[in-house]
Amino acid sequence: MSMLLSELQRDALQELMNISMGQAANALARLIDAKITLSIPKIVVVDASEFQQMFLTDQYWFTRQSFLGSVKGEALTLLARAGTETIGGLMDYALPLDDRSKEELLLELANILAGACLNGFSTQLALHTKLSMPTMFNAELRQADSFRWSSTLLLEVEFQLEGTAFDSRIVICLEQLSIDVLINKLNTLLEE
Amino acid sequence: MDQPHLHLQLNNRLPLGICVLDAAYQVVYWNDFFSDRTGLPFAEVQGKNLLELFPQQARYLKKKIDSVLVLNNASFSYWEHQPHVFPFSSSRPITGEETLMYQNIEFLPGECDDSAVRTVCLVVQDVTELASYFQAEQQLSARLEQEGAELKVLNEKLSMAQSQLLQSEKMAAIGQLAAGVAHEINNPIGFISSNLQTLQDYATRLLKLTAFYEKIVSKTGNETFLALQRDTYQRLQFDFVRTDLPELLTESIDGIDRVAEIVKNLKAFSHVDNAQWQPANLVDGLENTLKIAANQLKYHVEIHRDYAADLPEVYCQPNQINQVLLNLLVNAAQAMDHKGHLYLRAWQQDQSVCIEVRDSGPGIAPEHMSRLFEPFFTTKPVGSGTGLGLSLSYSIVKKHQGDILVQSQPGEGASFVVCLPIAGPADSSPADSSRSV
Repeated sequence: MSMLLSELQRDALQELMNISMGQAANALARLIDAKITLSIPKIVVVDASEFQQMFLTDQYWFTRQSFLGSVKGEALTLLARAGTETIGGLMDYALPLDDRSKEELLLELANILAGACLNGFSTQLALHTKLSMPTMFNAELRQADSFRWSSTLLLEVEFQLEGTAFDSRIVICLEQLSIDVLINKLNTLLEE
Repeated sequence: MDQPHLHLQLNNRLPLGICVLDAAYQVVYWNDFFSDRTGLPFAEVQGKNLLELFPQQARYLKKKIDSVLVLNNASFSYWEHQPHVFPFSSSRPITGEETLMYQNIEFLPGECDDSAVRTVCLVVQDVTELASYFQAEQQLSARLEQEGAELKVLNEKLSMAQSQLLQSEKMAAIGQLAAGVAHEINNPIGFISSNLQTLQDYATRLLKLTAFYEKIVSKTGNETFLALQRDTYQRLQFDFVRTDLPELLTESIDGIDRVAEIVKNLKAFSHVDNAQWQPANLVDGLENTLKIAANQLKYHVEIHRDYAADLPEVYCQPNQINQVLLNLLVNAAQAMDHKGHLYLRAWQQDQSVCIEVRDSGPGIAPEHMSRLFEPFFTTKPVGSGTGLGLSLSYSIVKKHQGDILVQSQPGEGASFVVCLPIAGPADSSPADSSRSV
């Protein structure tokens, strides 16, 4: 398991994530008027090649958006290719989706989900973050050895839209210095 | 200068549209960017519902703003998907070809208490320049891609043509070689043939002589001589020799005649430039050509002939037309894998004579039909065909102002019909009657 986080720190972080993600899912459910189930947040440290593995699938579309604030990093959203039409209907898009409206839908979804996750995460840890516009991410073009980092902390949550094939995974990736900020915050919380 | 005044001034100087709404979509603030472009100063719109100010975009704006209000999370609008949310005219009215401004919009949550969002801030960015640059780029890359694809097709065609050209050169060389060999063989065949004739004559005489001696010996009635004759006959198996010798010679003469015929035809065909215009009987031409193609057809091909009687002669280049017929016959034979039925038909139709060559082969695939007469197009394995036969035939027939038609259903054979005007092409004046291909 994580070399960067102790067992205690990880458990605390997971608990915090769980609470905040629940709130995020609730807000989302209200917006699109559908039932949403949520996985237990996963917290892992990965190296570049493990990170790259995540993109070796044709089940998902990928988006990315960066966030700035007291912690910095990027939020990646994996959106199931199956069930895009269903969720498009729920989100009030004209069906069938053409390429343009599909991309619009995916980016909007990604922004809502990643925004909800990051908001929850920041609020619980009393951090402030600001998310930028999401863009589509074509990960196949990236080689693992082109990344400028050796390992990163991933906070991953899976959303499932009940009664559809649609699911989505939100991965919050923190950059090196931000991991230290996070650990300090966790320690303060644990000491309290 | 105090801080709020500074902020206000800054807000109005920014190249960004800023508009703040409350939870009821009422305008709390908008900066000069909005005023300048809508013609509505802030004082006039303050407290008005934004959705009513922009009714065309109300549904989209409401959706975006609601998402911010509910989720307390920024929302974005992209020029790629919604290029002109606010109907602002282009920032380049003189030099640009765009009429409307391309916009990226951020919908940001503003003040909030108890996680309920009180205000929403819209930040509009003019990305017209970026958008038109991007679109030009995309058009360019689409064009490049198309050109690349065309180039690839051309390259493939070129390499195909190259290999076929190589093949046809090889075939031409073989043809020349064959013509040369035919010429060389012609001489020995000449004297072999005449010698065989003489030999037949001599052999007949020798056998007559033997018969004469036989008669004389039997006349003598001398038992010793008769016994001696019987012994010698038996030892030499003369009775067999006597019957076999004429047959052998007849067969040989027949054989050498056939060789001579083949050589003659080979020579006739290697002289493709012999393009004399003259009246000719197409059925005779077809029959002569059949003889040449005989080795392709002889095994298991059954030939059915249906020639109309009293067909007029056609003014044409007989050698060239024979070349066309040969192509059709060889193609038919190869299509049937040398066994099946070959139907030959000839009839008069108005002022033309038509010849049909129909086979019982597997037919022609529909996707090949349109390319049949294309030079270098062949479905035969490499080395079997040049892909030139039908295209050459087509050009010969067209030169005669005739028609070559093809009909085929997969699985039901193929039919080729050549129709030639009886009077020949309209412009076949004597001046170019000896024109070569």
